[in-house]
This record gives sequence, C-alpha cells and structure tokens, in this order.
Amino acid sequence: MRTRGAILLANIITGLALGYTVTNIGFGDFAELNRMFTFQDLRMFLSFTGAVAILVCAFALLRVRRTPGRIHAGVIPGAVLFGTGWAISGGCPAIPIIQVASGYLPALITIVGVIVGIRLCRWANARYFHLDRGSCGL
Amino acid sequence: MSTYWPWWAGAIGLALVTINHTLITDRSLGVSAAWDRVLHWRRERELERMDEEFADDQALVEALAAATAEHFGTGTGASTVPQEPYEKSQPLEANAESAASERPAATSLRPAPLVTQAALLISIFLGGFIAAVASGRFHLRYDMGPGFRHLVTADSTPMVAMLFVGGVLVGFGTRLAGGCSSGHGLSGCGRLRPVSLVATAVFFGTAVAVSFLLWKVI
Repeated sequence: MRTRGAILLANIITGLALGYTVTNIGFGDFAELNRMFTFQDLRMFLSFTGAVAILVCAFALLRVRRTPGRIHAGVIPGAVLFGTGWAISGGCPAIPIIQVASGYLPALITIVGVIVGIRLCRWANARYFHLDRGSCGL
Repeated sequence: MSTYWPWWAGAIGLALVTINHTLITDRSLGVSAAWDRVLHWRRERELERMDEEFADDQALVEALAAATAEHFGTGTGASTVPQEPYEKSQPLEANAESAASERPAATSLRPAPLVTQAALLISIFLGGFIAAVASGRFHLRYDMGPGFRHLVTADSTPMVAMLFVGGVLVGFGTRLAGGCSSGHGLSGCGRLRPVSLVATAVFFGTAVAVSFLLWKVI
C-alpha cells in the first residue's frame, strides 16, 4: 500500500509535469484546439492518440491493474455535454487552470463554470439520476 | 511556425506523466475526479475519516461482529470469529490466496487522500505557469486570444457567457460520464476499458462536430 507522503509527492510531480506538458503541447490555445478538432492540424491529435498508443503498450507490458467501470446511462449524455463544452470554452477540467497560468484571465470564468457544473452534477445525481457513475480517479 | 512541441514529444510527455502517476500511486490519473473531491471536501473529509477508522479490515470485522452481537443481544459469549458464508464455502488454501491477492486491490481502490488531489490541481497551475514563462508565451490578457475572437465571439459579454456555459457543460458532463480527457482519455483508453473507449469516442466526436459548426457555420 502506498503511503500518504508517496501519493502526495506523486501528485505534485504529476501536476507539475502535466501542466508543463499540456501547456507546451498547446492545449490551452483555443485556435490550436479548434484546428485539432477540425483536423486542420493533426499535431495535437497525434500527441493525444500517440500517448494512448504508448499507454496501451506500457500498461500491457507492466500488467497494470484493471480499474472498475461500466457503461452506465450517464456515459453518453455526459460525454456529449463535455465535448460540447470543451469545443466552445476550450477547456477540459485541467485546461482552464493552465490557461489562467498562461495569462488568459477570462479562463477564470470557465473555472467558475466547471465548479458550478461539478457541484450541480453531484446534486442532480443524488436527487434525480441515482447513477453509480464510478470514478476515473481510482 | 508553431512554437509548440512536435506531436511525438507531446505523446511521450503525456504518456510518461500518466505512467509515472499510475506506477507510484497505483491509481488512475483523473483531473475531473480530483476537482469533484476537492469541491466536496467536507463530505469527502468525513468519508476519509470513516475510512481511516476502519482502515484495518480486522478492526472493521470485529466492530461489525460487536455491533451485531449488541443488536441481537447474543453477548460476548458468541464466537468472536466472524462467520462469513462466502469464505466458508471456499477451500482454506484458496481462501488464503484470495485474501492475499484481494487485500492490496481493496486498499488501492480507495481514492487518493483529499490533500493530494488538491496538490494535483495546484501543481497543474504551477507547471503551466513555468511552461508559459519559460517559453515566453506568458502574457496577461483579458480575452481568450485571436482564435476565440474569430470563431466564437469578440465581445466581452457573450465571451463571459460562452465561457461560463462551456465550463458548466464540462463540469457537469465529465462527472456524469465518470471522467474527462485524462481519466477516460489517457488512463482509461490506455487500459482499453470499454466505458472509457465509448466516452472518449463520444466526447471527441461531439467536440469535432461543434468545432466544425464554429469554424464553418456560426
């Protein structure tokens, strides 16, 4: 079992490296993002799919533990909402953070929106949906 | 010429970050999950405290046995060894093996401590700031750049509205789908989890459709 200190250190290293990498790839740049989603420039698309290809091989070689997850009723509607939001605001949950860090101050509004959306989802799920949505962080 | 990293450097960078996180923490990398837990920190802290109280499985079993004995008034004269029908039906050796192999998985299924996930979000900011300053791209501005101005809106009030609505959709959608581009996209697709493959195809496909609308139609 990993100690709390090891997990804390790993998360700090991950956060620093992820912020550094994602910023240098250009995910915080709305124009670059739109060029990726409209296939005008495949550079960022290949970065993402290339990373997934490396991970598939690495996780298979390292025999990384499978994580739980099933296709529940919220997956497709949630992914549609997320894709729409990503295309119009330019932010997945990590990207508005690096946009602010790069000096794009209006991305603070995106962060406020993300906070409202996350809180709204937990409230709506407890009240209406009652879905076991699982968690990608396990 | 783009000043951003070439595709192969980006791919290696993203893969190394994810592999490093997975190997050290024995958990998936998930930024939206970190957001979710940090934003509901009171409830999550409470759950963590309860989890810590029962961190030792034996303590949990004993506490349950004591509570059961108290509830049914069987007293302490009853066997202190918990009766577990599932385990009783298993051969003893299989039992020992099963316990040995299941225990690490069970402990690693607990979410990462709350403070470590807050540290992840803060570190993403610091990493992004270092990258922006080091590459000379840091520039304080009150707009989202020429791309957003041309494709979405150049006016400040609609910009605020679009960013807010977009943010709400991202927050709500990622939590409803159970993950985002890091949790489903990298960690989940890397493990070839069906739910992550479906979620990634759908959110990427939707983003492609909406981006084409912004580019060609609106």
